[in-house]
Amino acid sequence: MSQITSLMTDDHRHCDETFARAETAVAKGKWDEASAALEQFANELEGHFDAEESLLFPKFEAATGMTEGPTKVMRGEHAEMRSALARMREALANKDKDDYAGESETLLILMQQHNMKEENILYPMCDSQLAGSDVAAGLSERLHARA
Amino acid sequence: MIPDGQTLSYEAAPAFSTPLRFFLTAPLFGAAAGAALLAAPELLDSRWTPGALAVTHLVAVGFMLTVMLGALFQILPVVAGAVIPRSGTVSTVVHLAMTIGALCLAWGLGNSSHAFLLPATVLLGGGLALFVVAAFLGLRRIPVAQATPRDLRIALLGFVVAVALGITLALALGGQLDLRLLTVLKLHIGWALLGGAGVLLAAASWVVVPMFQITPNYPVPLTRFWAMGTGAVLLMWSATVYGELGSAEFALSAVLAVLCATFAVSTLNLQRQSRRTVPDMTTRAFQIGMGSFIAGLACVLVAHQSEHQVWPLLAGILILHGGFISVIVGMLYKIIPFLAWLHLTQDVGKAPNMKKLQPDTPIRRHLALHAAALAALVVAALVGNEWLIRLAGLLVVGEFVFLFANILKVLGNYRRAHAA
Repeated sequence: MSQITSLMTDDHRHCDETFARAETAVAKGKWDEASAALEQFANELEGHFDAEESLLFPKFEAATGMTEGPTKVMRGEHAEMRSALARMREALANKDKDDYAGESETLLILMQQHNMKEENILYPMCDSQLAGSDVAAGLSERLHARA
Repeated sequence: MIPDGQTLSYEAAPAFSTPLRFFLTAPLFGAAAGAALLAAPELLDSRWTPGALAVTHLVAVGFMLTVMLGALFQILPVVAGAVIPRSGTVSTVVHLAMTIGALCLAWGLGNSSHAFLLPATVLLGGGLALFVVAAFLGLRRIPVAQATPRDLRIALLGFVVAVALGITLALALGGQLDLRLLTVLKLHIGWALLGGAGVLLAAASWVVVPMFQITPNYPVPLTRFWAMGTGAVLLMWSATVYGELGSAEFALSAVLAVLCATFAVSTLNLQRQSRRTVPDMTTRAFQIGMGSFIAGLACVLVAHQSEHQVWPLLAGILILHGGFISVIVGMLYKIIPFLAWLHLTQDVGKAPNMKKLQPDTPIRRHLALHAAALAALVVAALVGNEWLIRLAGLLVVGEFVFLFANILKVLGNYRRAHAA
């Protein structure tokens, strides 16, 4: 697995674990713990999106000349995930377990089908288009600074 | 640059109706299999009765293969970036061919009516060939470096071999070909269940289990070599079956069983390490499936060494009903509500969440009924009592009607949200 693919895939898995912590805490009715875990997840997710939207995607777009291609689709999916996250926050604020479970399940599937496309298609393209650049190092720096 | 035909766009994803038509007719075939058991319990006397052959194909072709093809229309663009050309038209033709073909096949086998077997071979062979050609056109520029896209190709080839062998068998049954039926039959079963369905399940699991159940990844040697290794052993096994090399055949069967059990145990092991502690119905369905596969594989090996009719029957019940149907149903309960959500979001800008579209309670009840049907089938096969077999048949009818009703409920919720 090449640098960008490997780094960003690992970060997806890292976000997943925090997502699962929030889900478990809500199911147990531990609202304070759930709130903290969800905010951590939101922070990790936003940091990941930001690393892509402000660094990886522009570099890919510059290297390929494609601004209306896969990166545009991925940005659109980021927006949908942000909306889903907002609905999870709302359900958590209302301490509504069922609503949270439904919104959380929706985000999980949305997020994983998005991750599949990135991990199987977009990141390998980035690795081949941006080979020899310092993009992977820049991404790594941003992701670590976030934590 | 992005290869032609490769895209990540939702717009490139097929219409809702493309996979849905497959998912809607499949449960009806399952219910028909149950109804056959209910009406004619004697078909479970041995795996060779015409009725047993019909029921097996109602399940394997009418349910399993149909759902798998429908799901492939949806997942090839997502996991491999492969866009099937003219997917709407192709899916309509493939679905019609598979549905009518499966009906002809089951009727032809069940009534020993060879006149139905010829159209069945033309329709099933033609339908699958059309799908495989379209899928390979979509996949032709996609790199084979990753495990899932590569293994999907292997599975498609496995299905092609299985269907070709099936057509050969049908022609032999109709008297158009003279060959050793048992040899071709063994090869047909091996390629259909392992080369096709088994490899496809593994290819899907490499991504589905770690991502949706939030588990560690499968061990790298497994994702890298399992499908190719299994395919290679299957080829060697086929040579021993063809050459009637009894002990070598058993040894290679054992190797294949160990490979399959390794996949099943590895999946259960990953699921134990899932970060999700909230009960997930798909995970439950996978657990029933993997446990059944392991038990079914043991029955396959015992059947090799025993003349008793019950072992192949138990193997078939455990692998088809307990194994494949469980995991397929588990995946359907994720795919259908998500597609409903996705298409609603695209069409009207908002959608009820997944659990409002498909609540957990009916899924839990359906899985309980499915497990009860499995237990009843196993006991009925062991005891051989006519009324127990009828009861198992009734439970099978019930579980597939329940599945069908649950799918219709999601569609009802989808329609209401669309109209709102």
